[in-house]
Amino acid sequence: MKQEIKYEAAFAELQSIVRRMENDELDIDQMSEQLKRAQQLIKLCKDKLTKTDEEIKKILAEE
Amino acid sequence: MRNDRLTLLELNGLVRELIEMEMPNEYWVEAELSECRESRGHCYMELIQRDEHNATPVARASAKCWASKWMLVRPYFERTTGQQLRAGMKVLLRVYPQFHEAYGFSWIVTDIDPTYTLGDQARRRQEIIRQLKEEGVFDLQRELHLPLFCLNIAVVSSQTAAGYGDFAAQLADSPFAFHSQLFPAIMQGEGVEQSIIEALNRIYEANGSNEPHFDCVVIIRGGGATSDMSGFDTLALAENVANFPIPIITGIGHDRDESILDMVSHQRVKTPTAAAAFLIDHAQTVLDSLGEAQNRISRQALQKLSTIHHQLSTIQEALPRLFSVVRTRQEARLDQLYSRIAHFVQQKLISRQSTIVSLQERIPMLLDRRLQTESHRLELLAEKLKVLDPALLLKRGYSITLKDGAAVRDPKTLHPGDQIETRLDKGTIKSTVI
Repeated sequence: MKQEIKYEAAFAELQSIVRRMENDELDIDQMSEQLKRAQQLIKLCKDKLTKTDEEIKKILAEE
Repeated sequence: MRNDRLTLLELNGLVRELIEMEMPNEYWVEAELSECRESRGHCYMELIQRDEHNATPVARASAKCWASKWMLVRPYFERTTGQQLRAGMKVLLRVYPQFHEAYGFSWIVTDIDPTYTLGDQARRRQEIIRQLKEEGVFDLQRELHLPLFCLNIAVVSSQTAAGYGDFAAQLADSPFAFHSQLFPAIMQGEGVEQSIIEALNRIYEANGSNEPHFDCVVIIRGGGATSDMSGFDTLALAENVANFPIPIITGIGHDRDESILDMVSHQRVKTPTAAAAFLIDHAQTVLDSLGEAQNRISRQALQKLSTIHHQLSTIQEALPRLFSVVRTRQEARLDQLYSRIAHFVQQKLISRQSTIVSLQERIPMLLDRRLQTESHRLELLAEKLKVLDPALLLKRGYSITLKDGAAVRDPKTLHPGDQIETRLDKGTIKSTVI
């Protein structure tokens, strides 16, 4: 089972990718892989936001 | 000499005649009663006048009011003053002198002016009040506070008086747990002052040792008592009451002006039942205010709860909006990060591509240069080769001997019968070795 990654951890990883890119710490071969990872992380973060929003609405509706 | 002698009767008779002749009028006289008693309908009094400064008697006389007058004078006096004639009272009497051979000298009273006595008492009361105020004790009792729970009550009253019974019965009938203890005292006539002071002292002592303490003292006097207040109008009693550390309630029943005792007490009411009613009312007021406090507390609590509830539902309503702000902000951050990544990737690729392009551009030039260098080198080599060309040697008369196409440099390599070829400038000689 895939390890659940926390929003903050995902966001931090994303920031780290950007920083490493901007500091030119990545070579070209790694780049597409890292870009793919970044997109995964962004999707994960956005999904989490959407899920949280829905859960909040659901919890409040139960009240 | 013997003829000069008189009997006592004769002599007294002379005095009587003299007095009757010389003092035929009636006089208004101011005096203090030092004794006063009724006997067989007559009233017998002892009159006295004291020195203003040291109170020692400076004049003294007996007085009588015959029943015929007394039955008129007495009701009028009592109705006007509310008091009975008694010792210590100052009175204004209309009198005429009488000297009786057997009973001696006496003033016969024909009238008493009650307003004089009232005025004198009022002056004395004013004097006592002035003195209490000067001592600073006049208001002490009113500065005390009746405890909220005023249930333990010391009662000063006469044990037999109906007033005390009414008081106790009324407290017992109330819904409150009153506890009263009687400290008996004389409530009328002689000795009122001392008796009440002693009762107060007993209460004070009991309060020092007993548990629970008394919350207040009630001084009551029952119905049926005369309205003689003089016993309650003394300085010593007023001082004792005023200085007493527990609130004192008086219900000594009278319609006239307040007595000094009433003036210095914490609270005055008219009757014992009124005193009981006052205490019950006080307890009821406290109970009511407790009930009201209870209501206010619960009202406040409910109000607070409803406010909090309202605040919570406001927060609840605001939550989705708040979260959507958070979400929008987070999404903006994510988008920003992504655009930074995209931008960077693009930049990086462009820069690499341009590097490749520039490399590509340099390749033909480099090749060209290389080709030129090589051709130059070839040319130099050609020059060198030209110098070494064997044709030039042949022209100068040299020849080359070949065997099987290779130059023969040593005759020993040749054997008889071998075909050789000799190349000259202009042609070739073929020969056979012998």
